[in-house]
Amino acid sequence: MATEAESVEEIKRRIMEIAERVTEAIERGEFPSIRYPPNSKGNIEFREDVGYIFRPKTFSEIEGDRVKSVKTLAGVLYGLAKALDHLENGLTMTKRDFYYLHKVERLKGTLFPEDQRETDARIVLMELILGAPREAFSITSDPRGWIYGDIELVDMTGRTIRADRVGEMGYSVPPRPENIKFKRIGVKAVVAVEKVGPAKNMIELGIPEEYNLAIAILKGQASRSMRRFLRMLSDEGVPIAILTDFSPWSLRIAATVVYNSISSAHIPYLAAPEARFIGIMAEDVETGFFKDYQFALEPLTQADLKAAMDNVHLPNLQHPFWQRENEWFLKNKKKAELEIFKAMSPSAKELKELFVSYLREKLEDRLGVSI
Amino acid sequence: MGGELKELEQISAADFFYRNRSLAGFDNPVRATYTAVRELVENALDASELAGRPPKVMLTMEEVAEGRLEGTAVYMLRVRDNGVGLDPEDVPAAFGKVFVSSKYKLMQSRGTFGLGGTMALLYGQITTNRPFKVITGREGSPLYEFTMKIDIQKNEPIVLDRRILAGVTRRSMTTVELYFEGNYRRARSKIIDYLHQTAIVTPYADIMFIDPDGLFFFFARTTDQIPPPPKETKFHPKGIDFELLKRLAETTKTRKLAGFLTAHFQRVGSKTAAEILARAGLSPDLSPKRLSDEELERLFRALVTYDNYLPPDPSVLSPLGPKLWEEGIKKELRPEFVKAVQRPPTVVEGHPVIVETAIAYGGDIKPAGEIQLYRFANRIPLLYDVSSDVSYLVARRLNWSVYGLKSLEDEPIALFFHVVSTKVPFKTVGKEFIANKPELAREVELGWRACARDLRIYLSRKRRAASAARRVELLSRYYALIAEVLEELTGERPPIETVLARVARKAKVEVPVEVRESGDGS
Repeated sequence: MATEAESVEEIKRRIMEIAERVTEAIERGEFPSIRYPPNSKGNIEFREDVGYIFRPKTFSEIEGDRVKSVKTLAGVLYGLAKALDHLENGLTMTKRDFYYLHKVERLKGTLFPEDQRETDARIVLMELILGAPREAFSITSDPRGWIYGDIELVDMTGRTIRADRVGEMGYSVPPRPENIKFKRIGVKAVVAVEKVGPAKNMIELGIPEEYNLAIAILKGQASRSMRRFLRMLSDEGVPIAILTDFSPWSLRIAATVVYNSISSAHIPYLAAPEARFIGIMAEDVETGFFKDYQFALEPLTQADLKAAMDNVHLPNLQHPFWQRENEWFLKNKKKAELEIFKAMSPSAKELKELFVSYLREKLEDRLGVSI
Repeated sequence: MGGELKELEQISAADFFYRNRSLAGFDNPVRATYTAVRELVENALDASELAGRPPKVMLTMEEVAEGRLEGTAVYMLRVRDNGVGLDPEDVPAAFGKVFVSSKYKLMQSRGTFGLGGTMALLYGQITTNRPFKVITGREGSPLYEFTMKIDIQKNEPIVLDRRILAGVTRRSMTTVELYFEGNYRRARSKIIDYLHQTAIVTPYADIMFIDPDGLFFFFARTTDQIPPPPKETKFHPKGIDFELLKRLAETTKTRKLAGFLTAHFQRVGSKTAAEILARAGLSPDLSPKRLSDEELERLFRALVTYDNYLPPDPSVLSPLGPKLWEEGIKKELRPEFVKAVQRPPTVVEGHPVIVETAIAYGGDIKPAGEIQLYRFANRIPLLYDVSSDVSYLVARRLNWSVYGLKSLEDEPIALFFHVVSTKVPFKTVGKEFIANKPELAREVELGWRACARDLRIYLSRKRRAASAARRVELLSRYYALIAEVLEELTGERPPIETVLARVARKAKVEVPVEVRESGDGS
């Protein structure tokens, strides 16, 4: 699934091209500069059917004759040199590693960082300059997220893995999932669950095996690797359902899986526009599945409320559906968490029935999948 | 001690001073020590300047006995100048009487109280009962030594001994030697400060001081140039008081009022005199010596209320001039920047006044946490009561931020203020600070503004140069790193020297050597 832009050879070629252009400028006795498309608002578009798209209209220059940008120029070149070194040696690094690569004696007085934000910002700049996600130049993202279900794949190491035979949480999604090849997909749909607890319960209750479902455990905001992985499954034609809390934050979690986010808008293939949000939603609480359990709702915190107010302006939440959901929080100042299933079901048997009936109703309704 | 002795006239004098010595700065042993030094140094400077040569003042002070009070001592103080020297016949009157300068003419002079060094002599006599010595001679004439006392009641000199020390004096000089009881320990810093500040305002003088501890202080001159000596002038009618008019009338050689006015006042011709006398209702033919008090008062009123005089003649003033002023500040304070400005003449209470201001910045001047203000009046440093002085009030009031200065207290800046006048507008009898007159404040403000404008230009140039240098340094550092990184990437180190030379040329700064070397090395 690796595109040309992300192949190791292509990235190496781009790094060398930049190094040569800078060298040539210096040889001519000129100040070098590096041109790149910034991830500013004007360069990002949003479309409901594909999510965020990075479409550069304006460009910036890192100018080598300016006191303010010469550090950035040196920083980018240093970062690219380290990236190339890692790529050539098949080594990866985390953002923290990258930070420590700058905490070296020879960079005192120049690039020695004050804190990690400095080097993190440079990683984004390198992504924009190279036109590729940091994983492509060996800086891996936090590999958070698991998938459990009847999916057989071959990963980067060449091993064949069945995602329901690798431990109680399933297959841990790797930092660069684009190297994964799917061998066989035996599930009707993937249910991406925000929280670990309810997701594990579904696995423990045997729901994936019994109903041919895969459970993806997001553990909060879906990581870049998880989003990329879900997009790959979606591209394979697998219906993706997203199950989250009913809260201002969870709207964002769901929308990020569907549309990608502004901060990573310049990274392609992170949105899964075919994915569907299956709740918990306002109508479930008002008149649907949980209408008799309003006592189990939680009050919104100050931070929740602030998030709800910000949601009013988020480009990927502008669809009337999201705005209606969001208005409910502003009006009622309450939220429902996935743990509400526990409040409804004193026994394990009942919990399973509740999960199944909720999933059956929603998968049918939102994705046309029958279980 | 020079001067026109034939025009001196005694007043009720020694006795008066004896009772009012606090007025003259002799109220306690510490202050008296400072004042004695000061009076004698100022007389010495005046004498030398009058001779038209760069003053050379040698001051020696020795402790000779313990004093009566705790901390006091009896000191021998000897001051020698290179002035014109004195005619031996004038010596007793010049040193043995307490007098005022009865010149019925105006002159800019140092003499703070018009009493010369005689007060110091008198104070010495009062506290030690020892005689003083005067050694003086004129080039080519014998050198005389007088040993004298003052008869306080009669205000008469008593010459105890008079002898010829040498048949021929090689260079004119005068030495005064006296004994007094004082407290040098506690006056020391004030005295050194005084000499230091005197050197600032007298850059053409050599001032040497050997103090009672044997320490030698030498304030060397750095120029031969002496400002033109002040001329004497007649009084301007706006600048007189009743007492003075009365005394002029009593001693005049003129016979008629009309002639009296034109002879003794500047800016009064026969036409103006006639108008004034008409206003006073006095006949021009009256004899000035025979006027009644009531007639004198009418004359006085007419003189001071008449408004059509030309302003007083400023050519009698002898300001230091920006060049000498800057010279003095440079030599004593070694600042990195100094700018002095001389304001055009103006008039305060009937007397011509010229204000000179200066600002010095950086170098040996460090931030002091308080305003560093040097004040001078007729080339005398003013060391007391700074916070009441007109210049201090102006310094506080001015908006210095306009000139790129955050605060006077926290910046390495010193302000200077010099006022010259035939009558310096002191506020109090102590004569240590200048009155807050609006016309003076205006002069000080305009003067400092002019200096500060130059300072602003200097500072902004300096800042620009510093930031250009920083830019070169910073770019050099980063390009050294860029070269290293590119070498890692491409295997070849690009020639950054050309690019850096361009930056340096533009900033007119050398590429820092250590950066160039580290670029070649690792």
